[in-house]
Amino acid sequence: MSLLEIEGLDLDIHGTPILKGVSLNVAPGQIVGVIGESGSGKSMTAFAVMQLLPDGSMCRGRVELNGHDMLGLPERSLCRLRGNEVGMVFQEPMTALNPIKTIGEQVAETILIHEDVSRPEAMKRAREALNRCELPEARFPMSRYPHELSGGQRQRVVIAMAIALRPKLLIADEPTTALDVTTQAQILRLLKRLVQEDGMGCMLITHDLAVVADMADEIVIMRRGEVVEAGPTAQVFAEMRHPYTRALFEASGHQLERGGAAKGAPLLQVRGVVRDYALPRTKLFAPQAHFRAVNGVSFEIERGESLGLVGESGCGKSTLTRAILGLEEVQGGEILLDGEPVFTGHKPNRDVRRRMQVVFQDPYGSFNPRWKVGRLVAEPFHLLDDAPAGAAREAAIAEALESVGLSAQDRLKYIHEFSGGQRQRIAIARALIIKPELIILDEAVSALDVSIRAQILDLLADLSARFGLTYLFISHDLSVVRSITDRVLVMRAGQIVEEGPTAQVFDSPRHDYTKTLIAAAPVLPERGAA
Amino acid sequence: MTEEGIWQAALRSRNLVLGACLTLVFVGAALLSFLWVPYDVTVMDIPNKMQGPAGAHPLGTDHFGRDILSMIMVGARTSIAVALVAVGIGMGLGVPLGLAAAAKKGSLLDEVIMRGNDLVFAFPSLLIAIMITAVFGASALNAIIAIGIFNIPVFARLVRGAALSLWTRDYVMAARVAGKGATRISFEHILPNVTNLLIVQGTIQFSLGILAEAGLSYVGLGAQPPIPSWGRMLADSQTMISFAPHMAMFPGLAILLTVLGLNLMGDGLRDLFDPRIRRGTR
Repeated sequence: MSLLEIEGLDLDIHGTPILKGVSLNVAPGQIVGVIGESGSGKSMTAFAVMQLLPDGSMCRGRVELNGHDMLGLPERSLCRLRGNEVGMVFQEPMTALNPIKTIGEQVAETILIHEDVSRPEAMKRAREALNRCELPEARFPMSRYPHELSGGQRQRVVIAMAIALRPKLLIADEPTTALDVTTQAQILRLLKRLVQEDGMGCMLITHDLAVVADMADEIVIMRRGEVVEAGPTAQVFAEMRHPYTRALFEASGHQLERGGAAKGAPLLQVRGVVRDYALPRTKLFAPQAHFRAVNGVSFEIERGESLGLVGESGCGKSTLTRAILGLEEVQGGEILLDGEPVFTGHKPNRDVRRRMQVVFQDPYGSFNPRWKVGRLVAEPFHLLDDAPAGAAREAAIAEALESVGLSAQDRLKYIHEFSGGQRQRIAIARALIIKPELIILDEAVSALDVSIRAQILDLLADLSARFGLTYLFISHDLSVVRSITDRVLVMRAGQIVEEGPTAQVFDSPRHDYTKTLIAAAPVLPERGAA
Repeated sequence: MTEEGIWQAALRSRNLVLGACLTLVFVGAALLSFLWVPYDVTVMDIPNKMQGPAGAHPLGTDHFGRDILSMIMVGARTSIAVALVAVGIGMGLGVPLGLAAAAKKGSLLDEVIMRGNDLVFAFPSLLIAIMITAVFGASALNAIIAIGIFNIPVFARLVRGAALSLWTRDYVMAARVAGKGATRISFEHILPNVTNLLIVQGTIQFSLGILAEAGLSYVGLGAQPPIPSWGRMLADSQTMISFAPHMAMFPGLAILLTVLGLNLMGDGLRDLFDPRIRRGTR
């Protein structure tokens, strides 16, 4: 018997079809992975189950949860079901918790809403829920506030809220996307254990095939509001009947064809760099304390090489990026590009700056929404003393856009007219326009869907071959780093802990931390095996 | 959002349309008064004093026999001019100060600007206005200066707050990588992205300026006779309110409706510029 049955679910929002005939089943104790890229309707399916849809939504079809017809129930009965029979875990643990309430109160709140119990009783049960989510009382008393916890710990609190009432169905919408790989592995293990202990059904929504590969009993692959393939995990991976499934699988483990890296003189030299941040004073006259974000980092990048820098959030990789770009001054050591310092006499060195550019992670935040693409792409011309003007400028813009696979006409559009992948192409065009030697890619493909990511990686490999570019590729995503870099650095707590050729580091890591990182990264089963 | 989309959404917003209509009526009356008014507002007509609304004088006459409709039309001129210039002063000085404070966050400059703002905020505005007029004499110009000074910190704080969050955006980082300095980034990237906020706040400050002008004129510190002013019309009528209520009612209504119109327009504009709220706009 199924716990959740969705049959022929259609959903329109203001007349726009979002879901088309979606059917899926979740049995008790079963984890069903729902996979799709952005816009595939995977989250909307979950919201349709909860009946938490935006205004103007029209549902047709059948959604039955444990015998309740979710589409026919009045709002009052739905409120009783939400939280009680269905628990939900969201993607962003930073915003899913109320910052001014303690974690104990927040977990107890769900219990108090649904059950007629006394406050002390609710607090006692909240404690149990937190314990079950591996937040032991000794280290995590209920009086803690969300800001005192890390991202992974917050996600545990969110899970505790979702399972406090022992719901029959748990919906987890990208529960680990915002987390580091090692934390992701822990959270996935926790979810799996809770599902087994409580015999819950679990709908695990994700864009990452590798995550569901070793978690889910069944998987459902969605695309543009439709289910394209569904079945037991092993069977789906073995058969891959639908071409989209194959495309998704191939894009996830995308391998690049790259020419041999041109060895030569070092382009970028980073020697013993130290970056301190002043911490806020805790006492009025206490000496100012410092936090050392980057601690004696040294490395070199050779011309034409692609170097990966891997580390989890807070390891200092972004700080290092800003220092290399000359946006912040370092407290010790030196950074040289082709022998010239990035900073001279407390001022960034313009001669050096115009030889490097950067591509950021967020395709939505990295452009001024009020500028046209032509002006956005041409912004780095500010670095040149003899920037082209008039027709030469237009030609340079057109050339940059065309080299990333867009058309010259796109310069007249605004940024909101482009998709995430196209925006990232525009970001690369902006970096290319002054013909730099070094491009720093700061999580440049992390926010993209796998198929788009594969295209952007191909583009980057192609550009480096055509223009002899050198890349510093910063990412937390090991599979991406593996596919595009020649050498890799592993960074932890402001220090480089391991360095070596990419294949060697991944196949036989020496440092314990590297081993943990690689072990934690979810892997796709071999094609046809599983 | 495309240009057409903005106009369509604007016409669908009830607040915005109603507010803009109310505001336009008074702005139109003020503009019309330059060309034509029913009666000259500087000529007294004692035999016809304090007449109720009737054919020849649709809104009646005051205690000197002046036509109230004409006075409200000319008074709109004063109110709008004072409020507009005061908002202009506030924006003209407050916005650059706010941008500078945000660009140099945590520096001495930031401290000086923001503590200066706190200082202005800490004084009751009417008291300062009274002080200014006490020293420099009562006139519409001094009222403008007094109201304008109090608009500066409002805009400076607003812009600093909004700019601080914009400074953390990647496109600002990209501009810095392109070698642009703080001033250039402030004007090219930050300012265009806070204009929506400025328009909304400007509308609200405009309505507050009209209220402030009326308040100053009411206590005799605004525009001086014979220039008509809504606030002074109210002050003049208060002793006669029991037997000539229309004298207080019409200037009072003029103030109320203008302020209401501007506030509705400000709300409507805010909804229009904020896509998260726009969904709910009817």
